Amino acid sequence: MDEKKHLGQKELNERVKHARLCTGCGACVNLCPYQRAYEDKVLAIFPCDLDVGRCYAFCPRTPVDLEALRGLLFDPQDLTPEVGAVKGFYVTRSRNTKERSRAQHGGTVTALMSLALKEGIIDTAVMADRGGTFLPEAVTENDSRKVAMHGKSSFVVSPNVAEFNRLAKGSSEKIGAVATPCQALAYAKMRMKPIPERDNNIDKLKLVVGLFCGWALSWERLMDLLAAKTELAAITGLDIPPSRYQAMHIYTTNGTIEVPIDEVNRCIRGACHYCFDMTAEFSDISVGSARLSEGWEEARGWNQVIVRTDLGLELVELARKKRRLEFREVPEGNLQRLKAASLNKKGMALKNLKLRTHSQDDLIYLNKEDPAFKNLIKGG
Amino acid sequence: MSNLLDTNEGAHYLYMGNDAIVRGALEGGVSVAAGYPGTPSSEIIEQLARISDRRSLYVEWATNEKIATEIAAAASFAGLRSICTMKQNGVHVASDFLLHLTGTGVRGGMVVVVCEDPGALSSQNEADARYFAKMLEVPLLEPGDFQEAKDMMKWALELSEELKTFVIFRSVTRMSHASGNVVIGELPENEPRAYFQYKGPLLDFLTGPMVTGPGVVAYARTVQQGRLKRAVSLFEQSRFNIYAGPERPELLIITSSACYLYSKEAIHTLNLGDRVGLLKLGTTWPLPEGLVRKHLAAAQKVLVVEEPQDFMEENIKILAADAAGEVGVKTFYGKKSGHVPTSGELNPDIIMNTLKGILGIQYEPVPQEYATKAFQSMFKSPGRELTFCPGCPHRASFLSLHNALALDNRDGFVCGDVGCYGIGVLPAGFSTVKTNFSMGSGLGLATGFGKLTKFGMNQPVVAVCGDSTFFHAVMPALVDAVHHQSDVTLVVLDNSGTAMTGFQPHPGLAVDAMGETAPSIDIEAVCRAIGADVASSDPFDVERTEKTLLGMLKKKGAKVVILRQICALSPEKRGKKKYQMSVREDVCIGENCGCNRMCTRILRCPGIYWDTARKVSRIDEVICAGCGVCASVCPSGAIQKAEVA
Amino acid sequence: MDMNTLQKDPYNIIITGVGGQGNVTASRMLAGMLVGRGYSVTIGETFGASQRGGSVMSHMRISSHGAWSPQIPKGKVDLVVSLEPSETIKVLSGYGNPETQSLSNDRPIYPVRVIAGDDKYPSMDEIRATIENLTARSFMISATEEALKLGNPIYQNVIMIGAVGGMDLLPVSIDDFREVIGRGMPEDKAAVNVKAYEIGEALVRN
Repeated sequence: MDEKKHLGQKELNERVKHARLCTGCGACVNLCPYQRAYEDKVLAIFPCDLDVGRCYAFCPRTPVDLEALRGLLFDPQDLTPEVGAVKGFYVTRSRNTKERSRAQHGGTVTALMSLALKEGIIDTAVMADRGGTFLPEAVTENDSRKVAMHGKSSFVVSPNVAEFNRLAKGSSEKIGAVATPCQALAYAKMRMKPIPERDNNIDKLKLVVGLFCGWALSWERLMDLLAAKTELAAITGLDIPPSRYQAMHIYTTNGTIEVPIDEVNRCIRGACHYCFDMTAEFSDISVGSARLSEGWEEARGWNQVIVRTDLGLELVELARKKRRLEFREVPEGNLQRLKAASLNKKGMALKNLKLRTHSQDDLIYLNKEDPAFKNLIKGG
Repeated sequence: MSNLLDTNEGAHYLYMGNDAIVRGALEGGVSVAAGYPGTPSSEIIEQLARISDRRSLYVEWATNEKIATEIAAAASFAGLRSICTMKQNGVHVASDFLLHLTGTGVRGGMVVVVCEDPGALSSQNEADARYFAKMLEVPLLEPGDFQEAKDMMKWALELSEELKTFVIFRSVTRMSHASGNVVIGELPENEPRAYFQYKGPLLDFLTGPMVTGPGVVAYARTVQQGRLKRAVSLFEQSRFNIYAGPERPELLIITSSACYLYSKEAIHTLNLGDRVGLLKLGTTWPLPEGLVRKHLAAAQKVLVVEEPQDFMEENIKILAADAAGEVGVKTFYGKKSGHVPTSGELNPDIIMNTLKGILGIQYEPVPQEYATKAFQSMFKSPGRELTFCPGCPHRASFLSLHNALALDNRDGFVCGDVGCYGIGVLPAGFSTVKTNFSMGSGLGLATGFGKLTKFGMNQPVVAVCGDSTFFHAVMPALVDAVHHQSDVTLVVLDNSGTAMTGFQPHPGLAVDAMGETAPSIDIEAVCRAIGADVASSDPFDVERTEKTLLGMLKKKGAKVVILRQICALSPEKRGKKKYQMSVREDVCIGENCGCNRMCTRILRCPGIYWDTARKVSRIDEVICAGCGVCASVCPSGAIQKAEVA
Repeated sequence: MDMNTLQKDPYNIIITGVGGQGNVTASRMLAGMLVGRGYSVTIGETFGASQRGGSVMSHMRISSHGAWSPQIPKGKVDLVVSLEPSETIKVLSGYGNPETQSLSNDRPIYPVRVIAGDDKYPSMDEIRATIENLTARSFMISATEEALKLGNPIYQNVIMIGAVGGMDLLPVSIDDFREVIGRGMPEDKAAVNVKAYEIGEALVRN
């Protein structure tokens, strides 16, 4: 690691972008005129010669002391090495059927963001919208009734943090963000105020709802794959049922097309192979698809929810009280299974990082002494 | 400049070389003039156009040089005197027609005026168009000063009419764009009638059809060669071939054009008037053989001074070889011997160096001590890289092009073309231009690149051209691109005029060279009719332009984006600011993270500079043209624009 | 000042500046005044960089007998007139000699490389010292500032020509200027130009 704690655009591009670790989260975008997001990529359109830049400091793929972040954001007694802080674990769905039908799964994220807006916990929500041709866009929503418009996933990353960066300069005072794990980490890094005199108005960020994420797909490769299977215009949605994990389902106006998972795996964004976080550990609340013993057809209508902070707990309880969320009993062993899956992702990430550096000690952006990785490293 | 029509014969005027050429053409009774703009030739047509109404002339800015030549030839066929004008590379465009024109010859006097640019001060080449005279078998005249520029132009029209062949009149930047005193001559009453005679027999080029074709070529060439023979005998007596110096000089310099003035200056400065003879030729093809032989015989050493190539040197050597028995064996100095540079512009200093070398003399222009401190001081003055003018739409256009190509992220590039936008190759144009050749070749090359997908090439290709260039040579390339479904994006930088050369009108405008209303050709409609996918944008709307370009880069096939915004130097814009620009010092974040001097470090407009002491950007009121583009790139909103009432 | 003879023949002037400053106009005005006096003037100009931020030069030869080379030989300039301070140095280092005099406008025009931060612009003190080191006599005047007072920076080149007149090196007077400017210009416009000329003249005489 460098002697200097923070570096600039040049190092960001050398060590993240050109090293193909860029997740496309958008944390370095809209801070200056030089870093821009286009499609699912982040690009340096002009060089910046500053020694220290927020772009480098905020990037979730530059080195950071994760323990310090955990200390800043969570109660120490809630921390687990597998999935981060756990204050509560639930299986929920939106009580609103319309919201559910527009959502990827149970509509929990939609319900929570909509509620947070309605209750004034936030005045602006930053979320992803599927956009045209499966290329999600970061959108801003101030109207709680319209949150449901932006629900579905296309498995491609959108530079949501860039949209936060833009909003933070403006008149919004209380911003809530839906975030992938990498985006949640970027927000957490901002909250550390690494460059105190240019803090990016991070105090305006009031709520982060994280999304479980195994990986994202490269948009270009996904488009090639979809185009090879069907007319793009006929596609109504995409999913990968978690209980089986062997196929992507392309829902079309003429029925469902199943794509073998091997073909999908070839479309995975390279950077995702080096990601240690499946459950968006640096959020207030993390939401993912549920696993139920009744099988996928039932499970797809529900979400698993990890509540990590006091604010997260408050919001979930409020949703219960206001009858925005429906809760069901968490099946036994669900959290354990989630932890195992999360651990598996961490293990893969560490393995891939070591393969990159040919070293046990150099994990590029991660610290081998971190309690979440220490045992995994030892395990090989 | 109205003095071009003055009738006080014998009066002195300070004329630019091109003005002198205009005056000469008027004194020679020119009726029709056509040209295509190109430095250093443009002022000739401009001036003639300006006075066209008072002299009953027809003057046009033709769509390209070949058409200009054809316009002039038509006038000649109908019995009028005409000229056509172009810069050196324009002759290459016109040469196909000129080649065939030697097959018939002309009727009314017709002069092809070529203004060359040795040293390529405003060109992308250093072509020597004199070779065309030899290649096409036509006479070549080169004036040696401003008075001659006028007198010789008049004579060129007369000579052409007498010999019945067109004549090439060759000037150079240091003649066309230099100025000197000229004594004006008589302006003839000039009211000719135009009529094209074609009723005479075939091959009678004075009364019959003007045609060339198989079977008559050999005959036509013999006729043309006969005209050249007559030219030689006239040239022997020409007053434009001058000798000054001793009867038997130690060294004979043979020169022409501006090099005559350089050589004269060198002889004067080195005080060599009694040792060196100077033969200045005005008729450089065919050579006045007898005259040259006579002077060769009088000197043992011969130096040929010319630019940019060794056209005369070769021809004089051939002549000397043929006449070796009569003139003896000579020692030649020039480009072949390495005594005169073979590229670049010459000047008196270079000739002085040449003379020092040949004659073994000493000369230092200034004392050594001064020379040393002058040399050391040189580096104190910062260099001046070319840039777009303040307010130039091209800066904004290239910014959007750069950004679109960068975001597209497939190593796309721009094929440049001939015009101010050639600066797109420099940081001022964000270094987007990666090829730059001749008029129209931007799209031609891009069309070729756009067909290479078959070989795995995935880089998006953009061609840029100006509005005038579009008509000149881009249209055929667009037809090719559309017809062959090349994946290419043409960006027409439409700034409403031929800006580079001084804002001449072109077919896209509703006005012609003479200021008359003319039907304008709609570039957008032309592109659509050819079958291209067309979009347009105002380049000053940076965000929209970038989006439009990005969208087009993604599409297959031939696309056109027209970026329309008037040139900052156009008469209607010049000196009028749309916005009063200012910088809010309290908001400017300058060198900090979040900006790092976007407006000065990246945009590089001369109208905004970095105040190193106060660490803020500032508008230079004197230079800023008030286009407002810097405000739209400022990330912190520090640059403010207020509309000027 | 002897109004009938030149100090030298040819008398060599280089008018320099940056594209767009009105170099050509300045050289035409001065040449017009001299031609009016019966002199032969040869001017050599480079138009290529005009308006595009490059350095531009007009070489002017004033003579009683005919045309001279439109390019002045190295070391042979008698007077440098520079519309931009640092450009004075560029011309002096190529064409100056110990007898050369100079007149400069003190308003810098920053080259794009300086604007971009890739190059440095010398301090005015350094420019002054360098010019003094290379000339027998030199003037630095605030022509642009004075022109702005007249309402338009374009008058700076007339102010500079007025200052050339004021230096008493050439056989010209304000009357020659009146004559030149009067041709093809409305009276009120001509009057502002004459005023600008007078300002320039006064700036070097005081």
